[in-house]
Amino acid sequence: MASKLARAGVRQVKPILSVDHGEARQRVLNLYKAWYRQLPYIVMDYDLPKSKEECRAKLREEFMKHHHVQDIRVIDMLVIKGQMELKETVEIWKQKHGLMAYWKDTVEPKPQGFLNKFLDGHE
Amino acid sequence: MGHPGEGLLLGMGATRAQSSGPEKIEVFIDDQPVMVPPGTTVLQAAAEAGVEIPRFCYHERLSVAGNCRMCLVEVEKSVKPVAACAMPVMKGWRIKTDSDMTRKAREGVMEFLLINHPLDCPICDQGGECDLQDQSMAFGSDRSRFLDNKRAVEDKNIGPLVKTIMTRCIHCTRCVRFASEVAGVEDLGTTGRGSDMQIGTYVEKMLMSELSGNVIDLCPVGALTSKPYAFTARPWEIRRTDSVDVMDAVGSNIVVNHRTGEVLRILPRTNEEINEEWLSDKSRFACDGLKRQRLVYPMVKDSSGELRPCQWEDALLVAGRALAAAQGSVAAVAGGLADAESLVALKDLVNKLGGEATCTEEIFPEDGSGTDLRSSYLLNTTIAGVEEADLVLLVGTNPRFEAPLFNARLRKAWVHNELDVAVLGPNVNLTYEAEHIGEDPAIIEKLLSGTHPFSQRLKAARRPMVVVGSALLSRPDGGLLYARLQQLAHQLRAGCEGGAEWRVLNVLHRVASQVAALDLGYTPGVSKVRNAPPQVLYLLGADEGAITREDLPADCLVIYQGHHGDRGAEMADVVLPGAAYTEKMATYVNTEGRAQQAQAALVPPGMAREDWKIIRALSEVVGAQLPYDNLAEVRDRLTEVSPNLTRYGDVEEANYFAQASALAQLVKGKQEAAPIDVPQKVLEDFYMTNSVSRASPTMAKCIAAIKKEAANRHRDK
Amino acid sequence: MASYFGIDKIFKALRIIRDHGGIRASLYQLYRVDDLKDGTLVGEDAMGNKYYENKQLTLGRNRWVIYNPSVGTDYDGSMVPAEWFGWLHHKTDQPPTKVAPTSYGWQSGHQMNVTGTADAYMPYSTTKPKVEAWTPPKAA
Repeated sequence: MASKLARAGVRQVKPILSVDHGEARQRVLNLYKAWYRQLPYIVMDYDLPKSKEECRAKLREEFMKHHHVQDIRVIDMLVIKGQMELKETVEIWKQKHGLMAYWKDTVEPKPQGFLNKFLDGHE
Repeated sequence: MGHPGEGLLLGMGATRAQSSGPEKIEVFIDDQPVMVPPGTTVLQAAAEAGVEIPRFCYHERLSVAGNCRMCLVEVEKSVKPVAACAMPVMKGWRIKTDSDMTRKAREGVMEFLLINHPLDCPICDQGGECDLQDQSMAFGSDRSRFLDNKRAVEDKNIGPLVKTIMTRCIHCTRCVRFASEVAGVEDLGTTGRGSDMQIGTYVEKMLMSELSGNVIDLCPVGALTSKPYAFTARPWEIRRTDSVDVMDAVGSNIVVNHRTGEVLRILPRTNEEINEEWLSDKSRFACDGLKRQRLVYPMVKDSSGELRPCQWEDALLVAGRALAAAQGSVAAVAGGLADAESLVALKDLVNKLGGEATCTEEIFPEDGSGTDLRSSYLLNTTIAGVEEADLVLLVGTNPRFEAPLFNARLRKAWVHNELDVAVLGPNVNLTYEAEHIGEDPAIIEKLLSGTHPFSQRLKAARRPMVVVGSALLSRPDGGLLYARLQQLAHQLRAGCEGGAEWRVLNVLHRVASQVAALDLGYTPGVSKVRNAPPQVLYLLGADEGAITREDLPADCLVIYQGHHGDRGAEMADVVLPGAAYTEKMATYVNTEGRAQQAQAALVPPGMAREDWKIIRALSEVVGAQLPYDNLAEVRDRLTEVSPNLTRYGDVEEANYFAQASALAQLVKGKQEAAPIDVPQKVLEDFYMTNSVSRASPTMAKCIAAIKKEAANRHRDK
Repeated sequence: MASYFGIDKIFKALRIIRDHGGIRASLYQLYRVDDLKDGTLVGEDAMGNKYYENKQLTLGRNRWVIYNPSVGTDYDGSMVPAEWFGWLHHKTDQPPTKVAPTSYGWQSGHQMNVTGTADAYMPYSTTKPKVEAWTPPKAA
C-alpha cells in the first residue's frame, strides 16, 4: 500500500524505449534469442575452447545476473548494451580473449578471512 | 595569579607574572581596531589583528633581540619607522603595516641583508623553506646596488648534528638566544661588530646540548642546517605525516618527512601541552636507525641452531605449535617501544592460552597500591603544569636526558617563574641551578617526618611537585622508597595552595610504552617470568636485556616480535618482523597519561607487518582466535579495557591519592644503604637508549664526537 | 635408361645412406637436422662444425653446416664462427680454407650466444637497498 502511494508520488519519467514491463520483457527475450542463435557461429568463428552448451549456460548466467532489475529504463539500457556487445561479437570486432574473459578462468579469487589475507600480504 | 594558559598565549610563558587586568588599550592596525593588554608589542598586536609582520630575529619563545630590523612598520605621527617586535604599543596608535614607508623600510633592510648573503640558494639545504628566500620574494627589491666583494666567514664545526655555513648567517642571534635561554648551554655567542660580526663558539668546540637540533629549525636562513639531512631532499618533494615520537616517554609530536619509502628527517610539531615546538636530538636524528639492523623477514632457528629466513606460514606454524603445546605455560615481555594495540592483542592472546605473566621490561614497584591506581604511575601535574609549580623535587631522575623536553619546561619555569628545583640523587648538570640535597635514600624518610632541613621549604611551597624517576623505582627497595614518597606527596598536597586540584606526585617514565602497558594491566618487571620460567616466552620488542637466555630453561622457546635485530632477536628461536613507529597506526600513551596516535608514514620494510596483525594472525594459527580483524575493532577493545587509551590528545585525570597513600603506609621493608643513582648522567649516555637509536649511525657519531670532545682543551671541565 | 625409370634415384638414395654411414646413422641424421643430403666437405672450423656444399641444389640450400656431433640436437646458429658465416650465407664464394680471413691481435675467439644458458648475462642492481636487514649472529 505504502509502496503504491510512493510510486504514485514519484514523477513519471521519460522512458528510453519501452513504455511498460511487457515491452521491456519482449526486448530482453528478443536479445536472448538473438544471442542464442548466434552462439554456434561465435564458437566457430572465434574458435572458442568451449562447447555450445557451455556458451548457452554462460549466456543464461549473464542474463540472470540482472534478473532482479525492475526499473524499465535500466532494463532498456542493459538491452541496448547487450545488443552492442552482440554486434561487436558477431562482427568479430572483439578478440578471443575478450570473450573468454566471461569465464574468468585466470582470475585468482581474493583471499578471504584475516589469516589468508595476512599470509597473502594484504593485511 | 593568572589563569593557566593565558600567559602561554603571549609567549615567554610567564604565567604567574602576567596580570590579566581588565584595562585593555585600543590600537589600530591598518585602521582595524584591536584591544590588547598594555605591554603588548606592535608585532603581537598585529598578529592579534591577523596581520603578519615579516621578521627574522623575533621568535615567540625567545627573548626579543630587535636586531634584524625586518619588522619595521610605520606608526602614525612617528618620524621614523619602529621595530615592531620590540616596541610596546601605546593607546590609540595607528600602525600601518603596508604603507609606502613600511614597504620602503623593508626593501631597504632586505637589500642590506642580501649584501653579504651568498646567492647559493640552488645548493643551499634551506632552499624552499628559507625565510630569507620567501621574504625577499615578498618584500625585497629585484636588484642590488652593491658592487663590492661579498664578505665570507669561515665555517665552524659544532658537532655531528648541525652543519654550519656561516657565510649565509644574517646574525639574527636566534641560535644564540635558544642555546642560552632554552637549552641552557652558553656555548654559542657573537664576536665582532657590524660587518665583522660572527656567530660561533668563540673557540672551536662542540655544541653540547641534547636540544641542539632545534637551532636548525630556528635558523631563518641556511646557516645552520642538519648534517645528516644535508643535500638529501627539497621540501617540495617531501611527504609529511604527523606522528608521535617514542624515543622517550614525553610523546613529543613530530612530523615525519619521507619520500619514496624512506624517512628523511623528523621535525617537531607544535603542541603547547607537550613539546611546545622543540624536539630532542635523539627523537630528531635517530630516524636513520630505522634503516639499519631491521628485521625484514620472519626467521626460524634450524637444526644447527641458526636463524634462517622463512615464509610467514612457516614462522607462524612453528610459533603456533609451540604456543599450543605449552598448555598455558606462556609468558610475554613487552619492551619500551611497543604500542597499545599490540600490547592489548598480546595480553589477550597470552590470557586466552591460559598464561598469566604479561610483563614489561621497565620496573615499577608493586608494593602498596602498586599499579592498581592510575595516579600512582603518571606524571599527574602534566608537563605544562610545571609552569604553575614553585618547587620541584627530583628524586632519582635526570630529566635532562630521560625526558629532555620535560627538562626544558622545568628550565623555562626556572627562568621565567622563579621555580626552585631540588635534586635528591646524583648531582647532575640539569642546565639550570638546582639545589642538591643528597644521594642518601634515608633522606626520604627524614623528609616525610619533617626532620630534614629541606622539609621546611617543601612545607612552605605553594605548589610543590615531587618527580620520581624510574631509576629510583627499579631499586630493590624502590617499593618502600616510593611508598614513602607517596605519603610525602599526600602530606604536601594537604598544605598546598592548589588544594585538591593540585597534584604533587609525579612519575617520570623513561620508555614510551610503559603507561599504556600499565593501563592495560601488564605486570611491571620481569620477576614473574624469572621466578616461574615458561615454556614459551613471547618478547614484544623487549631489547633491554631484562631477561636473558640464562634466566630460562634450555627447552624454553623464545619468540621475538619487533623491528630491530638487537638483544631480543639474538636470543630468539622464532623472529617475527614487526613495524617501527613510523610504519604503523598506533597508540602511545606518554608519561602524563595522554594517549596519542602515531600515523603510518611508510609501509613496514620487506615482509614485516604491523604488530597487532602479527599477533592476530598467530592467534588464529594457535586456535585461540582474537575477536578483532581491523584497527577500529582493536581500538574498541582498547576502549573496553581502558577508555582513556583512545581519547587521543587528552590527559585523563587520575585521583585516589589518599587511598594510595593509605596503602603506602602498610609497606614495610628494608631500606638499602646504596645511594640513589641514575643511569644517564652525562650527555654521552643520552644518545643510545633503545633499539632504534642503537642502530643509528648518527647517534654513534654523536657519542664518538663527545668522546673526542673530552680531549678538547678549550672546554671547561 | 635408369634415369628414365627413376632407378638412379634409388641408387642415389643408397649412396647417400652409405655416405652417412649406414641406415642407423642416416636415421639419426634425419632426426637431428631433418635433412639428408649429399655434398662435398668444404672444411671444418675450430669447433668441429663441418661445412658442405652441393652446387646441384637450389641456391639457399646448397651450402650447409653439420654441427659438431658432440652438441647433439642442442645446436644453435650462433655456433657458426664469423669467418664461415660469410661463406655459408653467400657473402663470399671463398671459404676460409681457401682465403684465410685477416686476423688481428685484438680479436677474441668466437663465442656462441649464451642467452638461456647458465652463462647468460644477468643485470643486477647496484643501488644500495633502502633498508639494511639484520643478519643474525653465527651460532657458536
